[in-house]
Amino acid sequence: MTFVIYYLLFTIYYCIDSAALHTALSSWVQPTPFLADIYQLWNSAWPAGLTMLGLGIGFAIVLLIASIKLKVEVDPKIEQIHEALPNLDCGACGFPGCGQYAKAVMENPELIGKCAPGGPQASAKIADILNLQVSDSGPQKRPIVHCRAHKSDKIFYAGYEGIESCTAANALANVQGCAFGCLGFGDCTRACKFDALHIVDGLSTVDYEKCTGCTACSKACPRNLIEMVPFSHENMMTVACSSKESGKSTRAICKVGCIGCGLCAKQSEQFVIANNLARVDYVKYQLTEKEETAMNKCPTKVIIYRGKSAPEPQQPKQKTTTSA
Amino acid sequence: MDTVTALLLAFISIVIINNLVFTKFLGICPYLGVSGRIDMAFGMGMAVTFVVTLSGTMTWMIDNWILMKLGLEVTRYVCFILVIAGAVQLVEMYVRKFFPSLYDSFGIFLPLITTNCAILGLCLFINLWEVDSLIKAVVLSFGAGIGFTMAICIMAGIRENLNLADVPDCLKGAPITLITAGLLSLAFMGFAGMIK
Repeated sequence: MTFVIYYLLFTIYYCIDSAALHTALSSWVQPTPFLADIYQLWNSAWPAGLTMLGLGIGFAIVLLIASIKLKVEVDPKIEQIHEALPNLDCGACGFPGCGQYAKAVMENPELIGKCAPGGPQASAKIADILNLQVSDSGPQKRPIVHCRAHKSDKIFYAGYEGIESCTAANALANVQGCAFGCLGFGDCTRACKFDALHIVDGLSTVDYEKCTGCTACSKACPRNLIEMVPFSHENMMTVACSSKESGKSTRAICKVGCIGCGLCAKQSEQFVIANNLARVDYVKYQLTEKEETAMNKCPTKVIIYRGKSAPEPQQPKQKTTTSA
Repeated sequence: MDTVTALLLAFISIVIINNLVFTKFLGICPYLGVSGRIDMAFGMGMAVTFVVTLSGTMTWMIDNWILMKLGLEVTRYVCFILVIAGAVQLVEMYVRKFFPSLYDSFGIFLPLITTNCAILGLCLFINLWEVDSLIKAVVLSFGAGIGFTMAICIMAGIRENLNLADVPDCLKGAPITLITAGLLSLAFMGFAGMIK
């Protein structure tokens, strides 16, 4: 304890280095070699410290001026919107990432509701931040694959051993019999960021529990098989085929293709036949018994349910191939 | 005339013969980290050039006019780091204001210029080579930045083509990049000894 006091006293004493203090203090303590060392150290250290301090202050002033001159104003609302978004950077909104979308929404509130993964909740939050009211945008869209042919249903002319990609395979003629159906090389699977699409036995199958409706798969499919459909019900009826071939040719290449017979259109107005292909009109979509009958009457059983709890599709009756 | 020739030689020497990346192996972190695309590599090179020119000049002035006068050579490292950090802060603010997209794509690598050893290395080299005039220090610092830009752009160009090459699985990614870097510096060894 005494030593500490002694030490402090002498540090102060040598720092001030005043002659008056020196004479006053030297009358009762004598400097020792150890203290002389400290004195020397201090003497050589203070210019260094002072120089550094001076330099530091100089740079601080320069940076201060620069930070005022080069200030970037970031609207706090943009950050709030960014936080309200799911931050997946999926690109469903048409912007490269959530940050850019937040900025765009801030400038143009009409863009609210473009965020598919965030859905109505995110839109409501953004509207809250921007003090706006969002109208109900209707049911959320989910993808439907317009093909139901598994490997055993398809007919192949020759084996394909090229690049494992639908886009590459699609560039070749006759990779499989059907020029409209799912190729099953999984371009959609790779496009999906949410692990919601899988190739099951040669057919792209949507996992509706995981799907966020970001539309990445429908953009990735080179054959445009994946349509974004407003899911007003949990399960949606659909014509799971895209073949525009005549009925006869469709039958020749696929067991479960739409032959454009028109039986469904006779039952219900919601089915529309065009180019040898039936389509469900989702604007009018309303399930009644008529549609159920149409589904049961479909000869190739191509009208099926797709959705979270879709029932197993019916299998077409095995037709004995007499023509072959 | 002699000074001009000397400066020209110093410039060529620092850009090609004593290139900090290829012969001194300094600044390897951004050299490998930001050399994925040519435009980004060029942006990085420009940022480094700016920082190194500014800090090389400033450190020469501080070293010769303040530290040596006061006999404080021992604080060189601390002072140099201070200058470099200040210059990087300036560049960061500037890039953020005028090139927001470049700022986004640089990410962490922009503030990391502070710890880019090529810059501190050059500041210390200028001192080691006993550069006696301010103009020579400026030329050397600027040349070092240009040399770095050249190195990183060459690397980015190679790596862009490397993406299309059939690289064995075990060498994909960092290993092939390091091999490329080694071969590149081997090529530049051919210039060694041309000027002092």
